[in-house]
Amino acid sequence: MTPFFQNKTNRIWCLAAIGLLIFNVWNIVSNTPMVPDQHWAQKIFYVHVPSAWVGFLSYLVVMIAGIMFFIKGDDKWDDLGLAAAEIGTLFMALVLITGPIWATPIWGKPWIWEPRLTTTLILFLIYIGYFMMRSFGGHIERIRRYAAAVGIIAFVDVPIIFVSVQFWAPEIQSHPQVEMAQQPSGILIPFLLSLGIFTILYILMMRYRIHVIRIKNMGVENV
Amino acid sequence: MFLVLLKKELYNEFRSRELILSMLVFGLSIILAYAFTSDVSRVIVANYAPGMFWAMILFVTVLGIHRSFSYEKEMDAFSMLIAAPIDRGLIYLSKWISGFIFLTVMELIVTIPFFKFLLIDFPPNPLMALGTALFINLAIMAVASLVSGVAMRARLSEVLLPVLMFPLVSPVIIAATKISGGIMAGDHYQLWQIWLLIIGSIIVIFGLVGYTLFDFITEE
Repeated sequence: MTPFFQNKTNRIWCLAAIGLLIFNVWNIVSNTPMVPDQHWAQKIFYVHVPSAWVGFLSYLVVMIAGIMFFIKGDDKWDDLGLAAAEIGTLFMALVLITGPIWATPIWGKPWIWEPRLTTTLILFLIYIGYFMMRSFGGHIERIRRYAAAVGIIAFVDVPIIFVSVQFWAPEIQSHPQVEMAQQPSGILIPFLLSLGIFTILYILMMRYRIHVIRIKNMGVENV
Repeated sequence: MFLVLLKKELYNEFRSRELILSMLVFGLSIILAYAFTSDVSRVIVANYAPGMFWAMILFVTVLGIHRSFSYEKEMDAFSMLIAAPIDRGLIYLSKWISGFIFLTVMELIVTIPFFKFLLIDFPPNPLMALGTALFINLAIMAVASLVSGVAMRARLSEVLLPVLMFPLVSPVIIAATKISGGIMAGDHYQLWQIWLLIIGSIIVIFGLVGYTLFDFITEE
């Protein structure tokens, strides 16, 4: 298997993603208006919301890969599921870091049991268990099946967790990302741009990670 | 075939009694720990009692469901079970329903010491409390049996089971605490009926997912 960066298309995509990320930071810092009562803290939402979008998208990919693995029985679906789980968890960790950074000056405390953040935390914990199982669960063939099952169960649980937390703490509904969709173009366009750039970055990361997992699997098979 | 599998689970337990007994002793130990660590006014304990009760049930469930699956590993009984020409989803259903029966029996016994040792009053409507508890037990066991089926044959299953189960079962625990809190406070049914709906959804969704996935999980 040829190294990932020997492929010209991959190199171009990678350089484009780095360029877009630098542009995104510049765009957020220089071209977005200041929200009067939030000032610089609001800027974190151009990173926080796209991270959450990519995280949930990734976990959806884990579920689809799990279903396909059970139907087709092909290891490539397991590779896809593992890559998506790893990258999804990385972005979920970003959500859990950026959320409290925003909340500290706005809400006056780093953590409130806000439904989306709570759902993210619970999913993050489920996936920690997923990786523990992957790491020391034992027999590789069985673990692939169990991991596919956990990926499906975790995503099925998402709406139930979300609804439960929403009813559990109905007074905490001040998460501003819903209102962002109704903001003037000064906020909305850079936000959508950031969302697109994060999605491109995600696709690139997925391609790279799947490549690495396949090389690793080839190494294991050759031992 | 489902009834045969369920009978196997029940006979096994009523012969050894190790599952209910261990759950019961563990439950009593937790109540003892609660009694020693909540040396505050009765009103405060009563406010926290629903959460404490369901947290205890969660710990006890982990112990019970792990034992229920782990004795299948002894002398590789599970391999023989899945080698039989039966629908493997029925194995999940039998584990779920037998687990529900064991948990309910244990809960019925442990409820009296829970209220008496913590010096709190019984709920004003015990029948409603019992009915909702049965419903909640069914939901807890639907999730626990599925997760246990996944973790059972993995290495370090005793670690993986609670790590995977606790976050997955969190909606059930939230709903259970709200329902029991409502009943303890004598609230009208309409104030907590939404939680029954959530519990019902969990039973249906996890029941279907468990029944469908068990065939794939147990493949050799």
